[in-house]
Amino acid sequence: METLASLLHTSPATAWMAVKVLMAFGLIMGIAPPLTWAERRGSAMIQDRIGPNRAALFGKIRILGLVQALADGVKFFFKEDLVPPHANKRLFWLAPLLAFVPAMLGFAVIPMGRSFLSGGTEYHLSLLDPGNGMGMLFPMAVGAMAVYGILVAAWSSNNKWAILGGMRASAQMVSYEVGLSLAVIAIFMVTGGYDPHEIVKAQQGTFLGVLPNWYVFRQPFGFLVFFVCMFAEANRLPFDFAEGESEIVAGFHIEYGSMKFALIGLAEYGHILGASALITTMYLGGWGIPFVADHGQIPVIVTFLVFLTKVIALCLVFIWVRWTLPRFRYDQLMNLGWKKLLPISMANLLYFAYRMRG
Amino acid sequence: MFLTFAILALAGALALLLQKNAIEAGLCMALSFLGVSGLFVLLGNPVAAALQIIVYAGAILILVLFVIMLLNSHEEEPAEVSRPIQRWGSVALVAVLGLGAFRLLNGSPALAELAAKPVTGASTNLHSLGDMLFSQHLLGFEVAGFLLLAAMIGAVALVKKNL
Amino acid sequence: MGVLVKKVELTWWERLYVVSVAIGMGVTFKHFIKQLLTPTSKRYTIQYPDMKKEMPKGYRGLHELKRFEDGAIKCVACFMCQEACPARCISIEAEEFSELNFTQGFEEKRPATFKIDMLRCIFCGMCEEACPKDAIWLRDNYELAAYDRLSMNFGKWDLINTYAEPDGKARLTQAEESPMTPSRRTVAL
Repeated sequence: METLASLLHTSPATAWMAVKVLMAFGLIMGIAPPLTWAERRGSAMIQDRIGPNRAALFGKIRILGLVQALADGVKFFFKEDLVPPHANKRLFWLAPLLAFVPAMLGFAVIPMGRSFLSGGTEYHLSLLDPGNGMGMLFPMAVGAMAVYGILVAAWSSNNKWAILGGMRASAQMVSYEVGLSLAVIAIFMVTGGYDPHEIVKAQQGTFLGVLPNWYVFRQPFGFLVFFVCMFAEANRLPFDFAEGESEIVAGFHIEYGSMKFALIGLAEYGHILGASALITTMYLGGWGIPFVADHGQIPVIVTFLVFLTKVIALCLVFIWVRWTLPRFRYDQLMNLGWKKLLPISMANLLYFAYRMRG
Repeated sequence: MFLTFAILALAGALALLLQKNAIEAGLCMALSFLGVSGLFVLLGNPVAAALQIIVYAGAILILVLFVIMLLNSHEEEPAEVSRPIQRWGSVALVAVLGLGAFRLLNGSPALAELAAKPVTGASTNLHSLGDMLFSQHLLGFEVAGFLLLAAMIGAVALVKKNL
Repeated sequence: MGVLVKKVELTWWERLYVVSVAIGMGVTFKHFIKQLLTPTSKRYTIQYPDMKKEMPKGYRGLHELKRFEDGAIKCVACFMCQEACPARCISIEAEEFSELNFTQGFEEKRPATFKIDMLRCIFCGMCEEACPKDAIWLRDNYELAAYDRLSMNFGKWDLINTYAEPDGKARLTQAEESPMTPSRRTVAL
């Protein structure tokens, strides 16, 4: 770390911050395009199809169609950037950014690996160091801001399908945030802290002797609620009410094209990544290797890889669920959110509060 | 840093008042909320900042925007007649209230304390907040909860045809 | 007639969703694995330019004008196909054949031009039915596309030479026809 800092002529703290920012940004930008590929190929395999496999580098190297993402990117850049004449121009331009930025920001507090000592100072693998007082509240706050992208996109398009989609999505996201928060509070209570580092630390070791000491196993109902709500927050099927081919065509992004559309699409995958990272940190032990109580001797890179593996596996689950379940009906969605998930998470909260009574 | 957030909050609030379009006004309000939460962080209270965003910007404002979109009134209603007396009266009122608030703030002991001893590293976290709520401010907390419950029951009673 | 849609009542077990969802995900996972392990050649998808569909017996695609083994055209320009064609896409011009020293000693006519307008052809197979000499076959080539209208007008040369291998489909009525069809070998010169 010191050598890097001296190379860059800055203090170790600044150098480390730069490394972290690059890492977090590279992680998102590096995983999102392959995710689109995984989505398309995976969905094809699930439906007994083949999927995109024609795009090739220099007309020769196909690599299972992985280049398709690249080709799509190039295509998006060269498409006409059309703003519909009746749209609200300022907000129409702002909306993709509003969708994209929260998707990126959510990562800031997630620890991606073991903290380590170097030259007397402790370095953490999360953008915000622990003890900032924000903790897990930060991704939730950022997640709450994510609705604005959809809402603004929907409204500024001045299109009735878009508005319908945006309205459905905003009502859904606000509803599911309630159940989500209650599930999260149960975790905070059991951990005795709300910093992601503490939450990850609290999940090391074994549970009942045979299971990893993860909150999935300790709070299965809380996990269920959180997991379902994360689908709703990331606007993924079966909860992607912002869209709806059968009723409202493409929903909130119906008027978008070219790079703005690409940004909205990237934001969706950013949300999936963010949701996966959150679930990993809260319920799957973060960067902790299962069954291992003391991570002091394990190299940092291993913990980072463990974290990455968990996140990518969860992303694949997101894709898998999307191609298994059809979209809910709107009343079913509200029913599920308010009458099922909310009581479950409340009962979960009360149960753990009861167990913690002094 | 303080200036950035303060300007953000004030500009958002001003734009909210001057904006003719309801949705854009709502977005300006969100901007001002962001500025305020930034100020909270600077004051060493990140919990309040997070809650400000989660509750106000993330939930309440979204619901307000939702209702505006539901009503879908795109055209602005112009004022029927200009009311010069009311306008100047409101300006005077704002000035008086602002002056009063400024005097009040300037004279408060908390500000003096803050001026003498600026915020240190120890920031408010959920622990201290919870302790405070359930010990010193228990009555207020309970009353607020009770009030919200009453409001909720009232809303349900208003909407439901046959209870 | 209206159809009465029965409302499906879910049992409480199904209404929990979790189990049903898990079963559904199992199904999709099974498909995923199955498709992943199937070699490309055995998948349902036929990756067209690389792989081609095996056309069924009796498929009626692009016509071929048949020839005898020595290369002489079988068609005698009798205009039966032109008459039979419901789409009127065949146009033949006959010519007298006089090169006696070459092959077709006993035949006097052959087509000077034999054109089929593939844009009009409906591939009904009537010409094939009508042909007394079994000289026109509809075979399995379905890749008929061109950049302009003119090149969709297939001439004699195209119709004779499009198919590389001499025999495409097995004749469905070969058994009855073979004794009547004069084989080139049986004709003494």
